[in-house]
Amino acid sequence: MNAGIIWASFKADLQSFYRSKATLFWTLLFPILLILMFGAIFSGVGDAEYELVVVDYDDSDMSVMFTEILNDTDIIKTNVKVIEEENILSYIKNNDIKRLIVIPDDFEQSLNTFYFDENVTTSIKFYFDQSEQQTNSIIRSVISAVVIELNKNISGGKDIILIDDIETISGEFEFIDFFLPGMIGFTIMQTCIYGSLERNTKFRKDGILRKLLTTPITRTEWILSKMLFQLFLSFVSAFLIIVIGIFLFGLNIHISLLMFILIIATSFLFTGMGMVIGRFVKDEESAGMAGGAVTFPMMFLAGTFFPLEQMPEFLQTIAKVLPLYYVNEGFRNAMIYLKTDDAIFHSVIVLIFAIIFFLTGLILTKWKED
Amino acid sequence: MFEEIPTIESILPLKIYNSFYIPSNIKRDIFMMERTVKCPNCGNTITTSGSYGEVVKVICPYCSTKGKVTFGYPISSDESAIEVSNLRKEYGDLVAVNNISFKVKKGEVFAFLGPNGAGKTTTVEMIESIRVPTAGAVKILGNDISSSFDQVKERIGVLPQEFHSFERLTVRETLEFFQKMFKNRASINEIIANLDLKDQENKLYMNLSGGLKQRVGVAISLVNNPEIVFLDEPSTGLDPKARREVWEVIAGLRNKGKTVFLTTHYMEEAEYLADHVAIIHKGNIIAEGSVEELIRKFGEGSILDIKNCKTEDAIDALKQSGFNAKQEDNGDIEVYIEHKERVLEILSILRHEAIDYDAIDIRRSNLEEVFLHLTGAKLSEEDE
Repeated sequence: MNAGIIWASFKADLQSFYRSKATLFWTLLFPILLILMFGAIFSGVGDAEYELVVVDYDDSDMSVMFTEILNDTDIIKTNVKVIEEENILSYIKNNDIKRLIVIPDDFEQSLNTFYFDENVTTSIKFYFDQSEQQTNSIIRSVISAVVIELNKNISGGKDIILIDDIETISGEFEFIDFFLPGMIGFTIMQTCIYGSLERNTKFRKDGILRKLLTTPITRTEWILSKMLFQLFLSFVSAFLIIVIGIFLFGLNIHISLLMFILIIATSFLFTGMGMVIGRFVKDEESAGMAGGAVTFPMMFLAGTFFPLEQMPEFLQTIAKVLPLYYVNEGFRNAMIYLKTDDAIFHSVIVLIFAIIFFLTGLILTKWKED
Repeated sequence: MFEEIPTIESILPLKIYNSFYIPSNIKRDIFMMERTVKCPNCGNTITTSGSYGEVVKVICPYCSTKGKVTFGYPISSDESAIEVSNLRKEYGDLVAVNNISFKVKKGEVFAFLGPNGAGKTTTVEMIESIRVPTAGAVKILGNDISSSFDQVKERIGVLPQEFHSFERLTVRETLEFFQKMFKNRASINEIIANLDLKDQENKLYMNLSGGLKQRVGVAISLVNNPEIVFLDEPSTGLDPKARREVWEVIAGLRNKGKTVFLTTHYMEEAEYLADHVAIIHKGNIIAEGSVEELIRKFGEGSILDIKNCKTEDAIDALKQSGFNAKQEDNGDIEVYIEHKERVLEILSILRHEAIDYDAIDIRRSNLEEVFLHLTGAKLSEEDE
């Protein structure tokens, strides 16, 4: 073994490494950023709180105390509302409420009566959105813990306070309904960004772009032809995901014009984003890392796999500037929740993003060498 | 009804009817109004006259065959395919190409020879309109590329440096892909046959050897039947056998009358293929001419190699007799001789001094020595 050669090789690698600012950034700084970001999500930094709407028909000292105990857990942030009982479901639907409890008007009375009648019970109704299974299971467990503690203090463990679980949207939706539209958005994002990056880095490196410059094909024709292919891939991906969702998971899905518009807009949006990234990275390795740096955080921050509410508020704010958030929400509203107004709103935002990114990408992408 | 037959004679491209044509062996002043054509029936030559563009009736005095011949405007073999004037490229303070000018004649293989970093690719890419020049002008087939490169694209074929095509397309699919971009389309079958790619036509590009990939690269540059073919370092990185195969392909292009602009840092490649060589060094053209002209002008005459010389004072003996001799690392001695007649003198010294050696080899000076003479460094050393 020749130590001199090994050292020379090591030195050459080291020189190549520190002379590439992009590699330095993506290799050293980016992981730090990721650690900070995900550390914030999954640790105590930022202390995630979940809003819980409380409808208190009892409005007694005990019911107010119960609400305060929930609030003091630092996990639940209660929001007390006054709603007529017959209007609760429509309120949940119209205001996109993910979880709500109703404290019955006999709450305090039942607790006081226990000393005379051991069979007395009172039920708190817990309305929750099944599509946000993970979040709601956390909230449900917090409420349960508070209820168990109260039951223990009052009755020595006998269940006076019960929890009546009520799924909103009639239990029609499951986590897969939430997850699959996100997967469509995520897959289109991945395909378009990496496809676009390949064209702008690998093809540049391989001399294909230089070759094309000397042929009659124009830059617009080339980009358009590739864009069409990306659209085709996007539709194929969406179709496959939907088919798997319906046949394997019994997904309830609504095929609409909005869904098609969203697929097209999303393809243009992320192809444009890939073109913009491709303009600033020169080699394939950096392109792969840069692509990952954009897609990886978006995948987690934009509500692809789990709801935004599980994240701290400042990250939720960040999520709302990410295009993938609007893509995911648009697909969910158009395909699952059938909230047409919201779907149109999200589609318009995606279209605006698409126009901005695609035009910027077109302007920035150049074939000619300096 | 007479049928037009395109001429194959580039010196005098007459439009000829009824199969009268200018025999290729007839060397004539093309500007004379008097022309000689050959009878398609009996093969005899007939002298006739006419002005440019005129259609002249011809009757063969030997067999009475009647026909017409149209005298086209002459295209001189001296006409330029490429004209480069004061081309310059700067990158900040670095001058990569320093106001170079040259012309490439139609039908010739023009080799742009120089070490890596000399400015070859920058120059060819400016000519191909891939890079924007800092200053200067380029004309291809009479068109200024700064304003009318789109018109030129149909008439040129380009193999960029270090070109790799789409990995997961077959050879035929690749050629078809690029062919579809052009209005002028050569026969893919013919290209595959001419470049000896028949056995590979259905193989994926990624599965081809380096030499075959370069051959496919050349094939791609021919899909529009171009008049000029630009080949940027077509044999770089290939083993000697693959390199030789690529040379044969390029020689074949010349035989088909294509103008070939070749950039290379292999002097053997330039010597083997080029009709005209321009040597570029540090962004400047330092010499230009045919290989013979360059060697005659800048070479060291011939070189006599004394193989595996075992006598220590052989160099001294040769130097004392006025020869420019030097010992190579492998023990061989190189003696520069301006006139072949001096070989006998050297042999006499070797015999007289009882110098022991294995063999003697005489070779003429080459472009390596030309480069050495002009720059003080070997071409191969400059590459390192």
